[in-house]
Amino acid sequence: MNGNVEVVADATGARDFLRRFIRTRSAVLGFILVVLAVATAVLSPWITPNDFSRTNMAFIWEPPGQDFVLGTDAVGRDVLSRLIVGAAVSLVVALSVLSIALVVGTTAGMVAAWKGGWFDAFVMRTADVTLAFPDLIVAILIAAMLGPGIPTVILSLAVVSWPGIARITRSLVLSLRSELFVDAAIVSGTAARTILLRHCLPNIVPALIVRASVGVGFVVMAEATLSFLGLGVQEPLPSWGGMIRDGLPALRSEPHLALAAGTALGLTIIGFNLLGDGLRDLLDPRIRER
Amino acid sequence: MTAYVLRRLLGLFPVLVAAIILTFAANRFVPGDPITIMLGDQGGNVVLERKLRAEYGLDRPVSVQFVDYVSGLARGDFGLSFRYPGVPVTQVIKDALWISPLLAAAALTLAIPIGIALGVLAALRRNTLADTGIILILVAGLSIPNFALAAFFVWGFALKLGWFPVAGWTTWKHAVLPVVILAIPAAAYLARLARTFMLEVLQQDYVRTARAKGLSERLVVWRHSLRNVLVPILTVCGLIFGGLITGTIVVETIFNIPGLGRIAIESIFARDYPVTMAIVMLFTLFYAVINFAVDVLYGLVDPRIRVEAVR
Repeated sequence: MNGNVEVVADATGARDFLRRFIRTRSAVLGFILVVLAVATAVLSPWITPNDFSRTNMAFIWEPPGQDFVLGTDAVGRDVLSRLIVGAAVSLVVALSVLSIALVVGTTAGMVAAWKGGWFDAFVMRTADVTLAFPDLIVAILIAAMLGPGIPTVILSLAVVSWPGIARITRSLVLSLRSELFVDAAIVSGTAARTILLRHCLPNIVPALIVRASVGVGFVVMAEATLSFLGLGVQEPLPSWGGMIRDGLPALRSEPHLALAAGTALGLTIIGFNLLGDGLRDLLDPRIRER
Repeated sequence: MTAYVLRRLLGLFPVLVAAIILTFAANRFVPGDPITIMLGDQGGNVVLERKLRAEYGLDRPVSVQFVDYVSGLARGDFGLSFRYPGVPVTQVIKDALWISPLLAAAALTLAIPIGIALGVLAALRRNTLADTGIILILVAGLSIPNFALAAFFVWGFALKLGWFPVAGWTTWKHAVLPVVILAIPAAAYLARLARTFMLEVLQQDYVRTARAKGLSERLVVWRHSLRNVLVPILTVCGLIFGGLITGTIVVETIFNIPGLGRIAIESIFARDYPVTMAIVMLFTLFYAVINFAVDVLYGLVDPRIRVEAVR
């Protein structure tokens, strides 16, 4: 009986959420752009018109046309195919970064809030110090040590992303600690780990989802920036940032490479940001713009 | 106030320590021996090798090297470059030192008035077409990475219209596109904040009172609302400067501007660790000082902050 009531409440909640979501024009626009980017990435093995890595010296810098919809680059590779695969590369990197940052940040934040004392102080000071370095400077430091490449991108973006998640998790768990159900769990002898994972985590997941969705745009942009500078994704894998770098010197006569990659990148990040902002406003009125 | 400033100053300490340790570690423990690379085909020349090792201080224990590094930093000495053997790092970066801060400052000067104006305008026209239009422009300004924006701007304004040079760093015209591209995301960020804060302020009792007693809308906006928007805006200027630092590195690379950012990227690829790490130190220090200054200013403007922080 009780379960039924909850299910009904959830269904209306979901319907209500959907109605409000659809009414937010900008969020819907963001959703469409994100779906386009994600679909392109997922379907990339099947929908590329040509092999993204095959060079062809007979067709260098072809303008957009019948054979190559968006033209070719300096070594005759199909720009459209590289854009499509670039979507997958970009989103896989973003997903990896967010997964690592979420796991590390949530764990650190939960344990810090629960244990308090020196561990709490240590985690929070580490977070403060990490945030005191400009993002790209962290990436440069790591790139100097590890060399350019995807591991460098993922590591440096995870390093700058976890502190924010740890801070939010910590403050949410701190406020949960004074809740009655947590007291009840403590009194009945539940292990701290179980309390954190079973009782606290489910309560903070919505806030974490909002935080992560607002962060995707940033991560996609940061990966593109690192790849643009040559510190990130390396050849022969395509990345939108790298394609813009390759396209800049040829901007005068063959603008199609840089402009096509720039458009794809810009629209994708706009999509993630619009969707993230929309979700934040709808799901969590507590996290206000700062 | 003194206690507050001292506390903030103390807060810089862990950041500096972390930066010193990290840059030292990166300099000393990276893969590949710099002296071997420097020697190149003279690899068998033991005398030259010993001389170079002594010159770079690499023949001494790591602990001594660390003390040397720290005391060098205190004197503004970053050691010797790897790429230009025997040349001090300070010599390599000397001429570039002011370009990145200058670009960032110019961009911020441009972004603050434009950002606040757009944000206030959007707030005053809340829920109209103008508001929605401004919001969409702001999202685009925040979302499109500066190098993608640069591709469009260079193609349009430099190549198609011919208004500005494509790259370089000689006349004021060379600075226009880089500064504008740096300023756009900063202005968009400021405008979003200004809009949010302005909407909040416009709902305050004192604004209603000001309207009720018949003050003109202009006075309500300029005298009673705008001032209260400026204070919270001040606090995010530090954050924006962090973004601008990142931005200058990208913009200098695109426009071939001989600033610290471009040198940092070149040095990574040239494996010139001392130069890279000196620039990491400088940017970190610069960012820390800006944030410190913003904190102090904020404490000056708002007494509640400094009382709370000291307590």
